[in-house]
Amino acid sequence: MRHSIAIVSLVLFVLSMALLLTLAKQAYIPRKEVRDLAKIYLNTTYNPWNKKFTAMSPEGVTAIVWDYRGLDTVFETAVFYLAIIGSIALARGIGKYSKPTSDEKKLGLSLIVKTVTRITTVSIIAVAVSIALHGHLTPGGGFQGGATAAVAPLLILIAFSQYFLLERGVSKDLMLVIRSLGLAGIGLTAIAAYFIGVAMNKYAFVLQNQAKPLSEVSIPAYIDGQLISGTLWFFNISEFFAVMAGFTIVLILLVIPERAFKSSGGEEK
Amino acid sequence: MIDLVDYFLTLIVTAMIVNLGLALYGIFFRPSMIKKIIALTILGDTANTFAIILGYRRWPSPKTPSRPPVLVNYTDATPDTLKEFVGRAVDPLPQALVLTAIVIGLAVTLFMVFLTLQIYRAYGTTDMRKIKKLKG
Repeated sequence: MRHSIAIVSLVLFVLSMALLLTLAKQAYIPRKEVRDLAKIYLNTTYNPWNKKFTAMSPEGVTAIVWDYRGLDTVFETAVFYLAIIGSIALARGIGKYSKPTSDEKKLGLSLIVKTVTRITTVSIIAVAVSIALHGHLTPGGGFQGGATAAVAPLLILIAFSQYFLLERGVSKDLMLVIRSLGLAGIGLTAIAAYFIGVAMNKYAFVLQNQAKPLSEVSIPAYIDGQLISGTLWFFNISEFFAVMAGFTIVLILLVIPERAFKSSGGEEK
Repeated sequence: MIDLVDYFLTLIVTAMIVNLGLALYGIFFRPSMIKKIIALTILGDTANTFAIILGYRRWPSPKTPSRPPVLVNYTDATPDTLKEFVGRAVDPLPQALVLTAIVIGLAVTLFMVFLTLQIYRAYGTTDMRKIKKLKG
């Protein structure tokens, strides 16, 4: 009873406060014009007539994430991995643990859930890869694709039990390798333009995508007639693998059974 | 007479401010760590929605709605379609900031859930008042 009174009074407060603000002409009205900075982004994100400043990506958000503010995103990836590394450090010192039963049918949820998971997992992976690969053309990108793909191992862990994944080779160590490959891909793509510049004896920047007024080095925007927006496509693929593997590591660590912690010692006294 | 569009837009912003207050209350005054994590995700999502609504733009005219910052027909783009795109698309910068913030927020939430799980394994409780008194 007390809770419902609190909720009703809160809702009434919000409704009446908004009415009061509107009557007092203090309403929140978005402007019809965006800021000048946003206009520069929108005008140069895909602009074949302005070769000196364009990012050659029809998707403004991905262009900002990996081109205009690329260094910012590299550091955000570092923050993301600090959280993952923190989780791995918390799960240290766990001894080996064995399967409770060898009969796979007894593990996990019922047959209906397992069958539905078999079907949906494939479609989740397909959608995630599509989101990541088209990140420079349509809304999406490496971050979103990776986060979507991490749902598939989560479903398998819950519906089939973790031994199903581990026996098929999807272990923490494999995911650490994939994560490292993804991060190495991001690093290599970031310095690609610089080394092309060194080879051609021209000036070039780290995290450069298309040619800029000060440096003519440019990663090709089209490959075989397909728009890949230079570095953006490679960044998206690398980030997809990095984010997907990072989430999968934490999810695998989260479902470690209680007895593994009990047997490892140190945690329990 | 009040404009209904203005009223609903103000309603969204007022509700989000109240939401921020509720989330802060949950973080500071709820003893359970799980409730604190839930309140923190609400705080993060409200902050993200604030950033998105700041980048929104009003419809230039009733017939031409504002659109996402994605140039759909890039293959047959002309300087005119580009000009129309700049005249209608919303601000892409807040969306780019929010996109990474969501994924990092998810990773940090997973880390905190894991931390809470380990605290529960070690102490047998997630109540901050009891954890404070425990030693070792």
